[in-house]
Amino acid sequence: MVNVDALRGYAADLLEKGQVRAVIGYRRGTAGVLAQPCTIDEAGEAETLVWDPTCLNNLARYLVEDRQQQAAAQTRNKTPDGRPVAIVAKGCDSRAVAVLLQENYLKREDVVIIGVSCEGSGVIDPRKLAARPEGRWASRVDFAGADAFKVTVGGDETLIPARDLLADRCLECRAAAPALNDVLFGEVVTERGLDEPFRAVKAAQGATEDARWATWEHHFDRCLRCFACRAVCPMCYCPECVVDSTTFVNTPGTTAEEKATRIRWCERSASVSESALYHLTRAIHLAGRCIDCGECERVCPVNIPLRLLNTKLEMEAFEQFQYEAGRDFGQASLLSSFRDEDPNSFIR
Amino acid sequence: MPNSSQSPAPEAQAHEPRVVAFLCKWCSSAGSDLAGVSRIQYSANATPITIPCTGSMSPLYVLSAFNKGADGVLVSGCHPGDCHYMEGNYLARRKLYLVKQLLQFVGLEAERFRMSWVSAAEGAKFAEVIDEFVGDLRPLGPQTRLKAKH
Repeated sequence: MVNVDALRGYAADLLEKGQVRAVIGYRRGTAGVLAQPCTIDEAGEAETLVWDPTCLNNLARYLVEDRQQQAAAQTRNKTPDGRPVAIVAKGCDSRAVAVLLQENYLKREDVVIIGVSCEGSGVIDPRKLAARPEGRWASRVDFAGADAFKVTVGGDETLIPARDLLADRCLECRAAAPALNDVLFGEVVTERGLDEPFRAVKAAQGATEDARWATWEHHFDRCLRCFACRAVCPMCYCPECVVDSTTFVNTPGTTAEEKATRIRWCERSASVSESALYHLTRAIHLAGRCIDCGECERVCPVNIPLRLLNTKLEMEAFEQFQYEAGRDFGQASLLSSFRDEDPNSFIR
Repeated sequence: MPNSSQSPAPEAQAHEPRVVAFLCKWCSSAGSDLAGVSRIQYSANATPITIPCTGSMSPLYVLSAFNKGADGVLVSGCHPGDCHYMEGNYLARRKLYLVKQLLQFVGLEAERFRMSWVSAAEGAKFAEVIDEFVGDLRPLGPQTRLKAKH
């Protein structure tokens, strides 16, 4: 079991000694059963930190936001506080931090990773919980070993099999403990056996070509282009997105000719072709970088199974190139390295 | 939009595929040139775009070509070991393998995206590659899946 009191003590100690600027973690949410992300900068607030199966968010996103704020402060000629930030990280979150380190987006000394192990379990899928009669009014969800969750409804506690509530990505997870950490709470459990890795992708690609397109056409057609998937992704940190140009904004001085000759890779209309271009571009940009935290899929307001696009490429990276994103922040990135024995038979 | 008042519809003819061919300037582009000066007869369906190296291919070029109505996209570069920049074609091979897998995964016809290695001396191979590609694309008809509808 993760000792939450020890976790709080460690965070309070870091803040008290002034070793970190802030701690990014989870606290009890105000709406419903889910925990919410929080940033604490006083030792006294460390008491509010929690760790339970409702800590869904990938907090690495906030490291990205923090770095952007630091950079913005620098441009305003303010000297930012150079102390590191501590982050409470699950297995998948720590892999996200590893990718950010690999890409030199962060420096190792700028982040303190407080690892928490999922201990053979994982986080819940709130949709699966809400679909159950007792889950509707649940006030708490706790770990109860690797095989079950303890769900509290009113004063009653029920045990629900872990398999029924776990998020899809947790079922397929291969490393449920943070390999990259400065301190680790909980035990490292590597044997899981809940589901085989990449099962959902393999099932999806078993369909015929026409059926696959029918499915994805349906999904791309429903996309609202709200960009929630991009906003939540810890890897989507480009200052300018290909679908959302900030350099080519129309001003009163923009001539008609400039507008006509400007390169537009992707229109803003939410049509099948443009949404396809957006999602496929995003999937390719995440090739070898996606650590399968499933956040894009979780935040999608129209339930597009976005995880499939990313895990498809991660599966190819793993099977063809023996590459796992976030395994080691010293490794060369997937697309900047090659081997002589890479697949060649598809080339004429 | 069939209109009975018009003369027989031109759609009765087979659809002529339009191929966008991204050719490395150090090899395949010269190879296509050789095919031309050698007066080899081959399909005129390909629109060549010369790029500095296949390593410079952005997946966005491929997606954008399909978005703008290409029936097929060909990327052709130097044989492994022959890259002018030492490793550009190896990097392209990895990257475009993933693009091909992704396009197939969402259900674009597998035949529509192709890669080839054509050196500057292989004019005949270039002609073969184009002929073969166009021949494979013809039965598929127009590419409608990723093409913009506006």
